[in-house]
Amino acid sequence: MAKKSKSHPILLQERPWANNENKVWLASSINLYRNFEKFKFPIKLDSDRKHQMISLASNHLLKTKLLSHPELIPVEEMSPTEKEFLVEHFLSPQSFHQAHSGEGFILDDTGEFLASLNIQNHIHFELIDTRGDLESSWNRIVTIETELGKTIPYTFSPKFGFMTSNPRQCGTGFLLTVFLQPSALIHTGKIDEVIERLTTNDIALTGLQGDPNKIIGDIFAVHNRRMLGVTEENIISIIRIFTTKLLVEENGARSALRKEENPEVMDKVSRAYAVLMHSYQMETIEALDAISLLKLGVDLGWIEGITIAELNHLFFNCRRGHLLSRYENELVSEEIPHKRSEFIHDSLKKLKLKI
Amino acid sequence: MEEQEKEKPEIKHPDRPIECTECRRPIVVHYTEIAGNKRTCTGMCSECPQLQKHLHGMSAESEISKEIIGSTGLACGDCGTTLEAIRMGTPLGCGTCYDIFSDVIVSDLLLAKSLPKQVVGVNRKGPLHLGRQPGEKQKISPSLKLIALNEALTETLKHEDYEQAAWLRDQIKELTGKPEKSNGKKK
Repeated sequence: MAKKSKSHPILLQERPWANNENKVWLASSINLYRNFEKFKFPIKLDSDRKHQMISLASNHLLKTKLLSHPELIPVEEMSPTEKEFLVEHFLSPQSFHQAHSGEGFILDDTGEFLASLNIQNHIHFELIDTRGDLESSWNRIVTIETELGKTIPYTFSPKFGFMTSNPRQCGTGFLLTVFLQPSALIHTGKIDEVIERLTTNDIALTGLQGDPNKIIGDIFAVHNRRMLGVTEENIISIIRIFTTKLLVEENGARSALRKEENPEVMDKVSRAYAVLMHSYQMETIEALDAISLLKLGVDLGWIEGITIAELNHLFFNCRRGHLLSRYENELVSEEIPHKRSEFIHDSLKKLKLKI
Repeated sequence: MEEQEKEKPEIKHPDRPIECTECRRPIVVHYTEIAGNKRTCTGMCSECPQLQKHLHGMSAESEISKEIIGSTGLACGDCGTTLEAIRMGTPLGCGTCYDIFSDVIVSDLLLAKSLPKQVVGVNRKGPLHLGRQPGEKQKISPSLKLIALNEALTETLKHEDYEQAAWLRDQIKELTGKPEKSNGKKK
């Protein structure tokens, strides 16, 4: 049985995923990587210096009015389930499982802000946006970053910009990821052609967990390939143009599905419905893939009895960290696939297939 | 032979990719080497120098970099990070590493297409950073959204997809409060 530990309610946020009505543009993640001038990078810091660094940064961030009721959670106080929950909640491609003493997180109660401390860099600011408002989110995160930088200056060089432990993140230290779910393009077989036509050298596409060859739940994580030699405005503009064009293509594909019957896609949606409603046990990836098809079915009017927001919420809640948190760690790993199925059945009990 | 087939472990994708214990990047390549009766499986990130060595031998870029810095053990005087460690994907240890390993870093960024070629001058000594400075107040205008919508609209009209063009026009109208006047045509 998983070990119980002190829980942190601020970690287990439902927002912003509980009311996310986005059909295709699931969310965006705005990331800034920074290191402080007077310290070596985390890999070369001993435990005492790491704790000193955390104390300095948190002293400021816990008092700022730019965050709503922020809290510091040292890694030592976190259970493995809480770490996993955090990775899932913030759609992080990197795992925090290896996080250890001298590392920590600052969160606020909006469920949108995360500052990771001493994990690869001294500080990694992350903001989740579900409104598609990249510009406002940028303005918000950079205000927080600027305010902290006035107290503790960042390591910066005119040649390499903001210096990061991974040289591929130096320069702006700005990673913008947009999570898109173009399920109509994927299931009508048009996605490869569209991506080839729209992608430029400035953009990279991966799956949910950072693997370019493994697309889970029909989600593409679109992010800037370059952080050096470009401006922040360039980065936002490039990602926005790509996203807008992909949305147009996806809307077109959905529109075609509404006008003309497509037995292959209808079959896929029906099978997804059946698997979710009747399976005895389900692995995460199978569940996420099926939920994406269900979302498509709801949008096309083929399925009723559930909203897009409820399906988006289920998308997060059926992942392992969220599931374990819901059952307060009282599950052995062999029980998880069955519990996941039970949870999904319960969430989808009003579902009705209309095709 | 059949027995061997049966013994093959089933590939099961974990809920989360396992990370490399050295560089902490996600493992995306599973490299299996069979030598005689011995089978070894190694997980590597896509940029792992070990993977490049397995696939292509020592790369040309590595040779060039070796020439640039010499094959002696170059190390950062402030944090002790060595060139060899950096080539293996170990994170940099401090800001001074950027001065010491400047040429290697620029070569790696160019190779990974993480730096536009036109930004790098002939002597590689000039500034490469074009973004904001620390403390600089930089508000990004919402007009970027409008630029993207207009660009998508132009492309959509080229393909004569009037349904999507109408959707884009509605979005533009919402932002500007007036209809878009692209191509002098009315909807």
